[in-house]
Amino acid sequence: MPLIKLMNVTKRFGKITALDHINLSIENGEYLCILGQTGAGKTTLLRIIAGLLEPDEGDVYIEGKRVNKVPPEERNAVYMFQQFALFPHMNVWENVSFGPVIKNWSKDRVKNVTSEVLEMVRLAERKNAFPHELSGGMQQRVALARGIASGAKILLLDEPLGALDARLRVDLRTQLRKLVKDQGLTAVHVTHDQEEALMTADRIVILRSGRIEQVGTPHEIYSKPQSIFVTSFVGGSNFLEGTVVEVNSSGSVVDLRGGLRIKVADTSRNIGERVVVAVRLEDVSIGTMEKLGENNLKGVIESTVFVGGSIEYQIRLKNHAVISSRILFSDTFKDFKPGEAVVISFHPERCYVFPYPRAGLLKEIEAI
Amino acid sequence: MGLRTKSSNVISKLVVWTTLGAFIFFVLFPTFYLISYVFLRWPEVQLEVFENPIIGDENWRQILKVLSFSFRLSLSAVAFDLVFGIPLAYVLARKRFPGRSLLEDIVTLPLVIPTSGFGFATSITWTTVAGIGGWLGLGTGLVTNLNVVIPFLNVPIVLFIVHVALTFPYIVRTIETKFESIDTTFEIASRTLGASSLTTFRNILSPLSIPGIFSGAVLALARSLGETGASLIVSGVSSTASIAIVRWTSEFKLATAAFMGSLLVVIAWAIILPAELYVGRRGRGLRISYQLPISIYRKIMKFERFASRRLSRLKDGLPIVVVVLTVIVPIIVVLNSVIFYWSADPYTGKVQGGVVYQLFGPPNYFSILQQATVTSIIVALTSTYIAMCISIPLSFIIERKWYGEIIRTILKVPLIIPTSSLGLSVLLLWGSSGFNLVSPGIWLIILTHIVFSVPVIVESIIASYEGSNIQMYEESARTLGATAYNAIEAVSLPLIKGGILTGFILSFTRSLGETGATFIVMGRDITVPALVVNMVEALAIPAALFTSTYLIVLSLILLVIIRILTRR
Repeated sequence: MPLIKLMNVTKRFGKITALDHINLSIENGEYLCILGQTGAGKTTLLRIIAGLLEPDEGDVYIEGKRVNKVPPEERNAVYMFQQFALFPHMNVWENVSFGPVIKNWSKDRVKNVTSEVLEMVRLAERKNAFPHELSGGMQQRVALARGIASGAKILLLDEPLGALDARLRVDLRTQLRKLVKDQGLTAVHVTHDQEEALMTADRIVILRSGRIEQVGTPHEIYSKPQSIFVTSFVGGSNFLEGTVVEVNSSGSVVDLRGGLRIKVADTSRNIGERVVVAVRLEDVSIGTMEKLGENNLKGVIESTVFVGGSIEYQIRLKNHAVISSRILFSDTFKDFKPGEAVVISFHPERCYVFPYPRAGLLKEIEAI
Repeated sequence: MGLRTKSSNVISKLVVWTTLGAFIFFVLFPTFYLISYVFLRWPEVQLEVFENPIIGDENWRQILKVLSFSFRLSLSAVAFDLVFGIPLAYVLARKRFPGRSLLEDIVTLPLVIPTSGFGFATSITWTTVAGIGGWLGLGTGLVTNLNVVIPFLNVPIVLFIVHVALTFPYIVRTIETKFESIDTTFEIASRTLGASSLTTFRNILSPLSIPGIFSGAVLALARSLGETGASLIVSGVSSTASIAIVRWTSEFKLATAAFMGSLLVVIAWAIILPAELYVGRRGRGLRISYQLPISIYRKIMKFERFASRRLSRLKDGLPIVVVVLTVIVPIIVVLNSVIFYWSADPYTGKVQGGVVYQLFGPPNYFSILQQATVTSIIVALTSTYIAMCISIPLSFIIERKWYGEIIRTILKVPLIIPTSSLGLSVLLLWGSSGFNLVSPGIWLIILTHIVFSVPVIVESIIASYEGSNIQMYEESARTLGATAYNAIEAVSLPLIKGGILTGFILSFTRSLGETGATFIVMGRDITVPALVVNMVEALAIPAALFTSTYLIVLSLILLVIIRILTRR
């Protein structure tokens, strides 16, 4: 039985539908990331699980029990705010022991649990410090300790790393996952950072305008994106518009603008259908020879961007479309200069084919 | 789980309903009773005001006369405030210099000092030899008497000065807050794009802060229209609308007083409501578009460039001179005079004219003062305590219920209606012509003070509530296992403690210094500020000097306490 189950959950704020018939099951011990842009409804979803908001329609179940009307304090699901919400008038010890004290546990138990949890997050020495005397990373640990000490089995993390420096954010996300797994907790982690989600989650839920776009393991989300939006939001991609002109057992052929023609492995589209072909940047290789592999297209290097471990090229094709390619530095790496004539290539297996979106391609990939 | 939730629901409903009931009973009724009184007894009002068998519509003409006088006075005071207040607000908001917080305190002082004492201090500063006149060696006051008027405006000069001093803080502090809320990056951008500081002010800062300037001016105007305590002392032969209410009430011309009082309430509403609506639309500045020939525009820019450089000292200095003259000097004069008049009148040498004789001699003002102090403190403590009991839950209701904003707007009214109207309203509501439950005296004073104490405390709590992200902390506590009640007790209340304490002191101070309403409802009991008025009317000047000093020192001590409490 899933630990948390949402059935047809809908929430509206005035005319805005923040969540639109969400169905989702979260297993016990799972680390789930909810990934979406600002305003996608991520926080609303989290607040509904916490009991801080009531859904307008649909049901929320925790441990098989319908909890729509159950107040937050009786759900054993602790909500962690981006700003940590450590009570400013209480020191670290009082903050961490807040849950045990308020739940009227025995004195000994309060003391044991609090000191144990403080040891765990390595903050036992700072137990008399006030929140404002601690660094951001420490505050985050206190907030986690406070949640764990309260006996909660579910951690609801609302952008838990958002208020921290970039470096710290990267260090802490693996620690966060480890802590949750070590303690046998269930975590629902809301973020807009795709890298964070890919690195920490067991499963990712992609939320867009109040609807679930795709659910899957990080690998599934990356390698089998089910929509243009997911392809673009997670990992990024080139998008080529075209029309299917041939479908056979080994794949299909798509006509691009300007007489260019490419092969894709996908066979699910019909002849004559207008499609968008997505190719990840790292799947586009560049060479100077006439023939590189399959799908050889001629073009000219337009610009280059140094990214760090890799380099990104923008290549203008004959039909004036621009394709980006990301090449990792290696021993065989050969640099190209702007203006150089090249040939690009990508494998038909690495092409994702989607029907052309009704609202236009830009609508799907814009504002990311 | 069900039972706990249910019983806490019942308790929370009970708290909400009790609080709303108390709010309606103690604040809403008294505030609006005056207007309904006029409607309910319209024939009586009509007979007395418009169709008096003996004097015809003389009372109506009197009303029009005092109203027009009041408006002349208030509008000119506000105009003066704006000219000097905007630069001062700018300096306070944007510059950091030693003594800045002291200057801020001095500007705020008139909000705290009992107005009757302050009015008395101002009157001796300008009209007697003990004041500026004496310092300049004139042998008389700088202004011959209280009835000397400013040409064209036809407003007595000392009255004007008092109104400027008492309304200045509203303008300065409101505009200062607005300026502070505007990001300095706009100004920096404008300056680096080549505009002088004055041009920047005209083009960037002033359009963005129009709502703040507007609401400051409205507050100041309402305050000036309603000012009673100081005006009673310095008005001389002229009469403002608020004073007229006090006078007519004591002459038992209740219908006329009530009619005029409700006119003032309606006017205060009519001014404040549109202003609230306008200012409520946040983040919108005002842009007046005008097109000037480029040559004139260049000249303006050139002047502004010049003025920015050469006249900035003047701009920074003059407002400070105004503050010093209207606030500091009167306080120094009154303190100084007490020493001069201590044992005898310094000019005639008569001991009867000395403070000691009047306090401890045959007039025996000291025992009256003692009694008045006890009354004042009982009133201030009781009314503040009751107001606290209403205000704390009411603040939570305002923050959490959909009708909170409505209550908050209603609460603005007792703060801006003339206190004498308020006093009259309370008198008519609870007194012999209304429910006949409470007769004039200490209890009626307490009931009156509760009406304006509640909004004072609520505003202070709400400021603290909104400044400390209570919702997040409470939600956090809830998910950690705290019930709604626990969360309020363990988290929210400690977090807004500062606001509650500040509200307490502010309300206490306000109650201690209130004159206009108290004067109407006090009956045989008397508070200290009202005593000052009586002393001045009885020409017991040395006793009034002492009592004013006493009040001023008391409120200064309270101000220091507020400062310590609000410092983080």
